[in-house]
Amino acid sequence: MMTSAISAMQAGMGAAATATPVQPLNLYHGIDGVTGRPATAFEELFFRSGGATDAAQAVDGLYMLIFWYSAAFFVLLMFLMVYWVIKYRRRPGVPAPVSPSHNTLLEIVWTVVPSSALLVIFFLGFWNYIDRQVAHGDAYELAIKAKKWSWTPVYHNGASTQWFLPTDETVDPVTGDVTKTIVDSPVIVVPEDSNIRLTMSSTDVIHSFWIPDLRIKGDVFPNRYTGYTFRTPKLEPGQPYQDHWVFCAEYCGDQHGAMAAVLRVMPSADFDQTVSGWSGALTGDKVAQVQGCFTCHSVDGTNMAGPTWLGLYGSSGTFDNAPPIDFKDENYIRESILNPNAKLVSGRAGMTSYDGLLSEAELDALVFYIRGLSDAGQKVNEELEAGGDGGEASDAETGDGESDEASGTEAAGDDAPSDAGDGESDEPADENG
Amino acid sequence: MSTIDRSTDLPMDGHGGGHHDEPYLSSKGSWLANVLNWAVTVDHKKIGVMYLFAVLFMFFLGGVAALALRLELLEPPRVIEGADGARRIVGQLFGADPEDVAAGNNIYNRLFSLHGIIMTFMFIVPSIPASLGNFFLPLMLGAKDVAFPRLNLLSWYIYVFGSIFGVLAIIMGGVDTGWTFYTPYSTTTDADHMRVFLIVFAAFILGFSSILTGLNFIVTVHKLRAPGMGWFDMPLFIWALYATSIIQVLATPVIGIAMMLLMLERVLHIGIFDPGMGGDPLLFQHFFWFYSHPVVYVMILPGMGIISELLAVHARKHIFGYRAIAFSSIGIAGVSFIVWGHHMFTALGELAAMLFSAMTFLVAIPTAIKVFNWIATLYKGSIVVNTPMLYALAFLFLFSIGGLTGLPLGALATDLHLHDSYFVVAHFHYVMMGGTVIAFIGGIHHWWPKMFGRMYNEKAGILGCVIVFVGFNITFFTQFILGTQGMPRRYADYVDEFQTMHVISTVGSWLIGLGFLIHLVNFIHSLLLGPKAPPNPWGGLTLEWEAESPPLEHNFHSEPLVKHGPYDFEKVVPPHCSEEDFPLPRAHGAPDPKSLTSFNG
Repeated sequence: MMTSAISAMQAGMGAAATATPVQPLNLYHGIDGVTGRPATAFEELFFRSGGATDAAQAVDGLYMLIFWYSAAFFVLLMFLMVYWVIKYRRRPGVPAPVSPSHNTLLEIVWTVVPSSALLVIFFLGFWNYIDRQVAHGDAYELAIKAKKWSWTPVYHNGASTQWFLPTDETVDPVTGDVTKTIVDSPVIVVPEDSNIRLTMSSTDVIHSFWIPDLRIKGDVFPNRYTGYTFRTPKLEPGQPYQDHWVFCAEYCGDQHGAMAAVLRVMPSADFDQTVSGWSGALTGDKVAQVQGCFTCHSVDGTNMAGPTWLGLYGSSGTFDNAPPIDFKDENYIRESILNPNAKLVSGRAGMTSYDGLLSEAELDALVFYIRGLSDAGQKVNEELEAGGDGGEASDAETGDGESDEASGTEAAGDDAPSDAGDGESDEPADENG
Repeated sequence: MSTIDRSTDLPMDGHGGGHHDEPYLSSKGSWLANVLNWAVTVDHKKIGVMYLFAVLFMFFLGGVAALALRLELLEPPRVIEGADGARRIVGQLFGADPEDVAAGNNIYNRLFSLHGIIMTFMFIVPSIPASLGNFFLPLMLGAKDVAFPRLNLLSWYIYVFGSIFGVLAIIMGGVDTGWTFYTPYSTTTDADHMRVFLIVFAAFILGFSSILTGLNFIVTVHKLRAPGMGWFDMPLFIWALYATSIIQVLATPVIGIAMMLLMLERVLHIGIFDPGMGGDPLLFQHFFWFYSHPVVYVMILPGMGIISELLAVHARKHIFGYRAIAFSSIGIAGVSFIVWGHHMFTALGELAAMLFSAMTFLVAIPTAIKVFNWIATLYKGSIVVNTPMLYALAFLFLFSIGGLTGLPLGALATDLHLHDSYFVVAHFHYVMMGGTVIAFIGGIHHWWPKMFGRMYNEKAGILGCVIVFVGFNITFFTQFILGTQGMPRRYADYVDEFQTMHVISTVGSWLIGLGFLIHLVNFIHSLLLGPKAPPNPWGGLTLEWEAESPPLEHNFHSEPLVKHGPYDFEKVVPPHCSEEDFPLPRAHGAPDPKSLTSFNG
């Protein structure tokens, strides 16, 4: 039961990847190999393992310094508190000893000593911070587009996210039942041991791009570019790749908690090969994944925030602000993507416009993908096929069963160019029909 | 030091009615007469009691939301594909449709917003100043009332009015903006509905209540101190309230402006914050935190004041470093205005981030000085471990953790990792709940006999305190670890690695709920069946303990004359107390303390 993401990865990764089983969602690995220093018990508790890079470990070091400093103060204070509460507990009728209520020297000492320590912490924190704010000249520029609720990396050649986190399978030890946890987080690939400069922007509200393993985050704004530089970890010898979670850290609405991505650190050669192999490939389901459509729309009939795409094409619909229509065609779908509020489906909250976010080719691919998810749409496809271009029926396959999204995606992914070709050749025919 | 010319011979008047020698709680006849009497009262004690019950009710509402949140976080929602091939969403408690993860997330988002908005604007900001402050500030100063009693009543009704707007917005479906109302999310969400407008309007209105209370307290402290009471004869609770009031008066107008601009943008579509209309979203954060950072000290300073009282009285010890504590309150109030940027390190430029980080460490110093002085106060005291004292000790424990965990958040490098994570959530709960709420509950126990004339059950109080303390640490210490491990805040959903810690945290939240339930039952039991309280059960030296329990309508039989400091336990036998119960400290070879002035009210 391999999914498209896994097979795509293996295709991109070559022999090294196939030899190594795909790693499950253990995103806190590969750390200790960086310096060979095992994490201490407290680092294990706080961070599971040391930071993934030297810069991250410097942050851990500062954190642990503050921790031990604080712990020492705290233990001292609490010891005195408990000890004195016990020692000087009130005994009926027994007067307390006479004691001072003021001591200038003591008060100066306990002002100056912690203040100096705070000064040290401030400088260390600032030093490390400014070190990471400085852009490195040789950094790889990676654009990150954020929106509700997905991350889209755009690489140097204009290619965008193509991979999504694989399905995680668990086998019940008693019954032998297999359950699959489906995670649709995009995979952002980066070369190992290089400087990455992020240029981030948002198309709606404020987001924040957090890579916990690298101990860094930066807010993403809708009206400006922001960014930061980080150095990617080194891979261990023979390690095909290393995954690190990316989370949105600024609250952004319903699916804020699902706005995750995976930063995949790959050998530089694999990275170049992978990204260059991506340019040009375009399929509807990938466009939908990249644009985060599946956070609100299902393709298996599940009711989510937006209407399911299963059987959408060709169905009838009523609207809050427009007369009902009997047959939802390609133009309806196109309008619903570019100008969603023109026809608000009864009982739905509406969607943000994708006008300007999709190229014409991407839009085509998406519209035809959605069309393929209904019986009526399949009929159109079949007619077109009978017309003689002999295109794959991958879209039709996707629509026929609830569990087939994965295999449908796989098929679509395998012969992506021909699928896209379908889309382009279909368009005039639809306009005429 | 007092230079106010006041004739104590004049009959005390101004409360609009006779019965001035009766306890303020005495019945005025029929229930209608009583309701009317409370509704139009200008008595600071009645207003304080009404505030007390109102904020505790809000605390209950916000607490229920918190428990619901924790329950939801027991398990992350996951899309599972079963062996039969069907996709199911599990781990979502709130979705009306069990398959509908977005609906469940939406309810979660509304709940944490509700929790934050209620707890901040309707509970913790007014909590101590408006309830215990209103009740005890005039009593501790030896005054009949606050300087502007009618303004005080107005402030109460503004609070009620604002809270009604807030609760109305919640009943209409709530908002999903979070208590921070960050733009452009807050200006675009629920675009077809008035709820966000209503709740922002509620925050706007509540600000006025806060300003009026602050103004009233400042004038009262300046003008109505009893004869003989200089600035440095004031109890430290008063100093804390005074510092709080300064912040309230100076900072609250800014949130009023920010909320007003937000309303203008939502209703009239004037582009101030939304970049889609030419605004700047970061501007809102500056406005918001310019108020909301100082207001953190509006929340914690009165709690610090309470702790100074509780430790001194129950350790029977002159507070250590009185002036240091008093000045550190003022110092904190001053510095609090120039640290707001530390909420925005991930959004600011390098220079601004550096300056704000440095200022943030500056504000840590007076806070640390207070803690050292409190601990030193315990040295050679005569310490009784009752509920208020236990709460004071719990405060020292929890607040120290809360303060120290502020250090990695103030340091820039570590903040880039910890910002907007559960570490921040744990940090401010240790300060706000482990600090302010713990001090508030301790203060309520401490002054309960004075306010209502009845004792509470000590054993039940201690039990409740211990359960709250243990539950609190289980709930929130795990959240520090969640934060350092990478769990972002405000997530209805999370990756599986975090589940263990979330389960522990949720179990802790049930313990906190249980602890507060015990306190609630204890208070109700005390009101109905509690034994009558003596005027000075703890042997306090501040002026409120000279009054009856509960105090008379006019507080004192005659205007008190201050002859000793608020913490002169080594010199003075407390009013209404015998020296057998409260012996004065004696050093070897010291003169018999009976030869010193004995003060008996």
